[in-house]
Amino acid sequence: MYQFRRILKMDLMNLFTNPMWWIGTIGLPLFLALIMGFITNGTYGNVVTSYDYYGVSMLVFGALNNATLAANSFLESRIVKANMRLCTAPVPSFFIYFPKVIASFIFGVFCHTLTGLALHFIVGVDFGGNNAVFLWLLLLAVNFFAVSISVMLCCLLKNEETVNQILSSLVMIACLLGGAFFPLKGLGRIADAASNISPVMWINAAAFQAIYNDNLFLLGCVCAGLIALGMLWIGISSKCFNREDYL
Amino acid sequence: MTEILKISGLEKSYKDNKAVDGISFDAYKGEILCILGPNGAGKSTTINMLTGALGCDGGEIRSSFSGGQDIHKDLDAYKRRLGIVPQDLAIYEDLTAAQNVLFFASLYGLKGAELKQLCDYALEFVGLMDKAKDKVKTFSGGMKRRLNIACAIAHRPELLIMDEPTVGIDPQSRNHILESIKRLRNEGMTIIYTTHYMEEVEEISTRIIIVDHGKIIATGTNDELKESIEAEKLTFIEASDLDTFDADVLYRIEGVKHVETKGGRLEVSSIRSIENLDRIIAMLIEHGKKISSVATQVISLETVFLNLTGRSLRD
Repeated sequence: MYQFRRILKMDLMNLFTNPMWWIGTIGLPLFLALIMGFITNGTYGNVVTSYDYYGVSMLVFGALNNATLAANSFLESRIVKANMRLCTAPVPSFFIYFPKVIASFIFGVFCHTLTGLALHFIVGVDFGGNNAVFLWLLLLAVNFFAVSISVMLCCLLKNEETVNQILSSLVMIACLLGGAFFPLKGLGRIADAASNISPVMWINAAAFQAIYNDNLFLLGCVCAGLIALGMLWIGISSKCFNREDYL
Repeated sequence: MTEILKISGLEKSYKDNKAVDGISFDAYKGEILCILGPNGAGKSTTINMLTGALGCDGGEIRSSFSGGQDIHKDLDAYKRRLGIVPQDLAIYEDLTAAQNVLFFASLYGLKGAELKQLCDYALEFVGLMDKAKDKVKTFSGGMKRRLNIACAIAHRPELLIMDEPTVGIDPQSRNHILESIKRLRNEGMTIIYTTHYMEEVEEISTRIIIVDHGKIIATGTNDELKESIEAEKLTFIEASDLDTFDADVLYRIEGVKHVETKGGRLEVSSIRSIENLDRIIAMLIEHGKKISSVATQVISLETVFLNLTGRSLRD
């Protein structure tokens, strides 16, 4: 496990020392939540303000975008050649891809926690008081799901650009359908049905039920589903990872 | 000589392209075995298979590091005694030189004071100790190449595999690297070195394997390879009005095997043991030609390669 810890530390260093990741992971959801909240201020009512809505939905959007972070820590041109040396070292294959899942997860959760705190203290986003901790667990599950699907796609497709294009498109479609940018509910049956197929809709619904209804059932189900899927993606990664592809 | 690698019938294909086609050779302790060949000859594929990172379609690689068995039966034991200098710069540019060496050496299980000591040795060895705390992105190309080597030798491997480690660097850094390789060999390390620069091979090799189209086409020491084609000699003659000269008349001279007019000069290939230069010159004078220069070819590995394949190493 000594080598595993060393590789994990290196993967964390590669993420934490890159200012672009800080900007993308903290800056983007924070900026979007503030802008969207400001533009739609007053249209969401007094109980749930626009800042409350976009504070949560943009955190979910940011957590899903964490997928591109994992892809970059795996295949980014700046580090992929050095990662190649891992393939010729006497370490198990698991030591090569799994630290990247953990490092991206830790970095993502750290950044999104900071974003959440910033939103709470700057514009007073309501994260449910005592239930905020469950919301944080939901954020962990979304991050885990996102980084594991990303690493799986890296193992299958072996190309950072392709993986990033696919993931960005999927996240954007899921967020649009799931109402992350504007609610689709109430725009007719087709819009409702489209919204229901998006995992983002269920994640947001779970978060809002926990915050405003004190109901944690859906949150528990969503977390369990995301973790189970994340583990499935990792299982597929372990089957598909081939050192030869990185030479 | 102690045999540390025995490679037999190695094969690797990429779709329809056979990159390595039945390569067999041995490597012995303390030698600098150079694999020479043009781009696309199968050198890097062979090297990647020797590192154990790339599987073979056929053949086997036995090593004394894995108890004389195929390396894939105990790949980790084999890899622990192996150092690899890849063709690409496999280093983290945003980290310092010392951080890079410490990290890669730790993958071989080194830790604590031993790790620090061996990393200092590696950086000292490649002449980068004074740059240990500098970020790699501030280094010149030659310094990065040297760091690439330091990362491969810090864990003191017994076999060092180097895949074109001098590509794209200045002559001074190249000399430093070649001198370092000779020093590593003097310290008892075995080195397998691939390149398409014949000058490097002539300078450092103890044995040479020439590959082309995935096959070994010649093997031996520098002198042995040159002797193998020294049955013939090549003479270059520059003279006036060669365009109007019927070169076929030279075939009447004993020992002349081939005559060609190229770029305004005459190239005459003759049997080495027959002294006929005086008669060739006399024949030209007899035909009214004024000779301005005569030169004989020095046999190089380039000549050997040209002789074996009919094309240049850089074609």
